[in-house]
Amino acid sequence: MIMVIGGAYEGKLDYAGKQYPEICWTDGEKCGMEEIFRCGGVYNFHGYIARWMKEGKEASELPKKIKAENPALIIVTDEVGCGIVPTDPFLREYREAAGRICTELAGFSEEVYRVICGIGTKIKG
Amino acid sequence: MIHLITGGSGSGKSAYAENELLRVGELQTDAGRYPYVYAATMRPYGEETMRKIMRHRQMRAGKGFVTLECPSGLSGVALPENRGVLLECVSNLAANELFCEDGTIKDAKETAEKIIEGIRCISRQTENLVIVTNEVNADAECYSEETERYIFLVGKVNQEIARMADRVTEVVYGIPVQVKIR
Repeated sequence: MIMVIGGAYEGKLDYAGKQYPEICWTDGEKCGMEEIFRCGGVYNFHGYIARWMKEGKEASELPKKIKAENPALIIVTDEVGCGIVPTDPFLREYREAAGRICTELAGFSEEVYRVICGIGTKIKG
Repeated sequence: MIHLITGGSGSGKSAYAENELLRVGELQTDAGRYPYVYAATMRPYGEETMRKIMRHRQMRAGKGFVTLECPSGLSGVALPENRGVLLECVSNLAANELFCEDGTIKDAKETAEKIIEGIRCISRQTENLVIVTNEVNADAECYSEETERYIFLVGKVNQEIARMADRVTEVVYGIPVQVKIR
């Protein structure tokens, strides 16, 4: 597994696309819920997490299922959770869960890249 | 030794901070004689906060910590003899110091000075101080004047602590990214 993370609109997908040109990418905000367990790469993974939680599924199950079913997945995701804790209860739960899910997946990943201004820095691996 | 540890929500900074403190604490020659002090700044209001507190307590269980509740006024705190202190976290402490219970809000600069004075007081009473803070300033929202003042305060306090600190680490999804090492 490989993760490419960073703030919104930092050029993460461009960077990942150049690093891994052979990968077929799927959009985590729009794809079928099962697609993520079969595809080569997913972007907007944070959006997928929100959809998963809105379906009432247990947040902690998601990283377990991805590790078991698609361990070579390349994940591109926004880093969320570096702002003020939101007043909306769902958003509060979501950003905390997004952190925990990505922390678990980053622990499992062989490599993690953080992209700022389109430039990736390897922070793991 | 002061080690400042920052990161976003759910980034694994607490677990990292705890491990860092235990790592340096073990190196002390009198290790085992004294406890670690967990200086807790979160006020236990509401169910969600209690869940958070319970989660953190479980993480620390059996590791030799004594808990000291210090939601504000750190400069008056007297610590027992210890192997090290984990102060968690600056963002709660800042909110507790800035926002008064009667709904009024204090001056940010004076509050920052008060918080730093408190942290200096803690640091004089331990060999190993690990401080957890939070990244609260990278979001796209427009906040109220009160919240902006709070963000300013946390930023100011973080900078001051980083200046005092021997090490500063940002934890990104469990991965330590070194920002400063003396």
